[in-house]
Amino acid sequence: MFSIELVVLSTLLAGVLAYIVSIKLPKLGSYLTILASLAVFSVLAYFGFNNNLDAEVNLIPQFVLFKTSMFGLYFAIIVSFIFFMVSFFNPYFIKDYKYPAAYNLFYLMALAGTIGVFFASNFITLFIFFEIVVWTSMFLIPLGKKRKPTVTYFVFSTVGSFAMLYAVMFTFSITGSFDLAAISVLSGKSALLVYILLAVAGFAKLGAYPFYVWLPKVLGKSPDPVSAVFSGGIEKLGAFIAFMAILRISPASIYLEAVGMYLQNYVIAIFGAITIVVGTLQAIRQDDAKKLLAYSSASNGGYILVAIAMSSSISLTGAMYHILAHALASTAAFLAIAVVHYRTKTTKISELGGMIHHMPLTYMVYLMAIISMAGIPPMGGFISKWLIFQAVINKQMIIVAVATFFGSIGSFLYVFRPLAALFLGQKLPKYKGVKEAPFLMMIPLIILTLGSFYIGVIPNQVIDFSNKVIAEFGFGPLLMNEFGIQGANGTLSAPIIASVFGLGVVVIAIIFFILPKSRKVGLMDTYTSGEFIYTEELLHYSADFYAPFERLYPAKPLISKVYAMIKEKVNELGRFFKYWFFTNKPEVTVLWIVLILTLLVWGDIL
Amino acid sequence: MNPVLLIAIPLLFAFLSIMNKKFARPLLLVALLLDVYLVFTISKGLYSIGGFSQYGINLLVDQYSLIGLMVVNVVFFLTVVTNCKEVKRLSTVLLVALAGVNGLLLTNDLFNLFVFLEIVGISAYLITSGNKRPLATFNYLVQGTVGSGLYLLGLILLYSMTGTLNMALILPTIVDKAIPLSNLALPFMLMFIGLGVEAKLLPFNSWVKGVLQNANALTSVLIAGVFATTIALTFGRLLSTVFVLGSISNIVLVILAVTMLAGEVAAFASKRIREVLLFSAIAQSGLIILLFANGLVIPAIMLIIANIVSKYILFTITGKMVDGTKTDEIESLQGVFSKNKLVGFAFTVASLSVIGLPLFFGFIVKLNILTSLFSQYQLFLSALILVVSLIEGTYFVKLLIKLWYSVGEVKTFKVDALVKVVTLIFALGLIVFGVYTKPLTDSLMTVPEEMMEAIAERGNF
Repeated sequence: MFSIELVVLSTLLAGVLAYIVSIKLPKLGSYLTILASLAVFSVLAYFGFNNNLDAEVNLIPQFVLFKTSMFGLYFAIIVSFIFFMVSFFNPYFIKDYKYPAAYNLFYLMALAGTIGVFFASNFITLFIFFEIVVWTSMFLIPLGKKRKPTVTYFVFSTVGSFAMLYAVMFTFSITGSFDLAAISVLSGKSALLVYILLAVAGFAKLGAYPFYVWLPKVLGKSPDPVSAVFSGGIEKLGAFIAFMAILRISPASIYLEAVGMYLQNYVIAIFGAITIVVGTLQAIRQDDAKKLLAYSSASNGGYILVAIAMSSSISLTGAMYHILAHALASTAAFLAIAVVHYRTKTTKISELGGMIHHMPLTYMVYLMAIISMAGIPPMGGFISKWLIFQAVINKQMIIVAVATFFGSIGSFLYVFRPLAALFLGQKLPKYKGVKEAPFLMMIPLIILTLGSFYIGVIPNQVIDFSNKVIAEFGFGPLLMNEFGIQGANGTLSAPIIASVFGLGVVVIAIIFFILPKSRKVGLMDTYTSGEFIYTEELLHYSADFYAPFERLYPAKPLISKVYAMIKEKVNELGRFFKYWFFTNKPEVTVLWIVLILTLLVWGDIL
Repeated sequence: MNPVLLIAIPLLFAFLSIMNKKFARPLLLVALLLDVYLVFTISKGLYSIGGFSQYGINLLVDQYSLIGLMVVNVVFFLTVVTNCKEVKRLSTVLLVALAGVNGLLLTNDLFNLFVFLEIVGISAYLITSGNKRPLATFNYLVQGTVGSGLYLLGLILLYSMTGTLNMALILPTIVDKAIPLSNLALPFMLMFIGLGVEAKLLPFNSWVKGVLQNANALTSVLIAGVFATTIALTFGRLLSTVFVLGSISNIVLVILAVTMLAGEVAAFASKRIREVLLFSAIAQSGLIILLFANGLVIPAIMLIIANIVSKYILFTITGKMVDGTKTDEIESLQGVFSKNKLVGFAFTVASLSVIGLPLFFGFIVKLNILTSLFSQYQLFLSALILVVSLIEGTYFVKLLIKLWYSVGEVKTFKVDALVKVVTLIFALGLIVFGVYTKPLTDSLMTVPEEMMEAIAERGNF
């Protein structure tokens, strides 16, 4: 037996220890984060899989209560794994941070917070740990070069967590209980309110439309390991909340015969679809590899929402699977870009090129990651997308189906851009001596890729697990035999597909080796009609990569204008109050007093 | 021991200090130490001055005033200790202020309350005159005088209706004589406005900006911390045991809600650190009075304690910072904490606590406030509180990030070890109480009952 409380507390303590150590030896402190997150992951995985986690709370005072559930365990294992994987990058990046000790502390505190969220048994516990994650992870962001995203992140996260707090308190005022199960008791309009508020919380954290604007800002500008942790780990808190809200609450609503689902679920699915489309379109336009991946994270969040909203065994398995597959793939992709950033000091695609010559392994990792993200076999992303497509088609939701397919095809476009222009293509002379990733960085890259590959070929264990999870929500298991997953209209045999793919790779390899070798030329050997080129960067083929798309729609999400406007309005209101009420003239105050008294006397006494 | 000593000693020392200026500061320190000692040793009860139990002035020591006295005296003491240099000229004034503050917290008589209000007011005007902004001080003087005048007017009206000034007797008399609520609206409103001026409620608080935006560490902590707490507690006692809001409750609630909103958005729109903090203080006091007006005494006291501690940290550090760097533009203060990490830590903890993030005391307070509001089913008010606290969080986070991370040259400032130690201890206190609140909540548990008991007992005379 191992108690969850102990895991959370010892992670916090490890954070404090890492802080103290890092004051003098920041690098040693960052090695501690590796050890601590390894310990958390292995304890959770080992004791969790053996059903041996103890939920009792003895040391933490007040209303903090834990419970074990397959649902929480699934998330906790994934997220702690991501924290563990990313921590390998900490020693290399720690010297660039302004406050390295604080980084190590907040990294582990955020980990402890996420574990607390996933094992919370009542809403107060959930909220406390949710907020701990918010503020600790918030302080990770400005350690990079940019400060502004911190505030953006705080605002959007807090909108989410306050929506949740309101929902929690509202539920409490009606049912008198903070228990997680209390929301299922609600009915009618109050259930609808709680449903909407919790959905907002989930949306905000997951970065779904209309809250997705924080993702590119935060993930694009944070230190690289932090971006990876956000995308693979912390964002998943939103999915966790969305799961609870959508599956546990049944508000009074209209049943849509045509698609066989309730209106509120349909609305969520539509929002998910919008997220997919908008995220994909924006990702295609990005020149910054990290921003591109950030938008892709948003659009993948959309898939998860669509899948949850459809609430069937297939779709929920798809959602669970997608959470895992996306966590692995997007972390791998972010870390691969982190390697490039670490070695070249830039993440702008147009400033890079030909990195494959220097870092073939990183290239392979990135390639496999994007294959998974685009949903191509034999990677994990394929299976999850297959399940989601099955569910969408089965429900005959045409609009949503179009969006999901659009997103899938669009993802080819955007993941191809860094691949073609950053890793392949012409190598710029200034990156001549660039080296491959250091050994410690390679470990997580390889493990993540292999993991992604494994769940793409042999899905049985994951589906077994997710069957147990969805059983907790009252859904039947997804049927499965030794090699195949039973979908709504057909069986998917992942190993066979993978072997066909393997065969294809072998055939291509044979052809590649038989055919004569191509002639190598200098990579900057560009010429144009005998003219001398002064600005060869502009002729670099990654410049203006998707120029046709760039003419079609603006680079900034339209919704960010709305947010800018809200901010301006608050500012205006502030200036209004300052102008009318905080003058240096006492007579104005006296005037207000007289007005109020007049109002009172007029209304009540005369 | 008789609680009147809490008022008498500082007053006596104030007279003594006039005779010999040299001893003024030591006298102040001795008086403060004695008061702190007394606060922790006096026992609860009702003390009649001169033995005229029903007709004379009473001092009431219950859990409520005891908590107030402890907090205020300790913070007063620490403020004086950490700002020794600035105190010199003001020693006598501060002694008078101390007497006034303790009097406000102890008194159980409405007219006596007016006297102490004036004493505190006059000492506050004198203290703010140290800012060298005569116009702002004059503004404060005019408004404060108008305010206490209105309070007095309301008091007279109330006295003519009830025939008593004893705070514990007002409510029973109103019930006895069956005075209609509409008659009570005007006196209570006048008294509300009168106290509202000192409590920084919105349309009556334009003095705050001029006074606090130029204040040094001493003045700002005294005005925004010590005096604000005292006034809030006094106001709270009146709202919970004397006032019958009845028909004016709507107007009062609107004033309070708007104060809260206006304070936060004005702080959001401000570019100077002291301005941000002073508007935030206005919003906080709006919230505190709002809680009292809704009968939520326990969350209000918790908020008051959280508020005075965090205000002490924020205003002290800001004062020292502005002194050292000669600027209070946030833009030009960027990165100051990178050279003063300990101070920065305390400041950060205080602001995170004000925002109400978990692991800090402010979070417990926020949770308590919301739980109580929701148990009254106050859906709109709680939504408003969440919205304004989002705005509050935004500008505090913005401020923190700017103060920790620099762009270009970083200004430096020096802080004495004593200030560092005190702010750090307070910051650690915020963390400790944020994790373990049982002793505090236990001691607050009995406050509302005791307050009501006092009325019930006196009503039976």
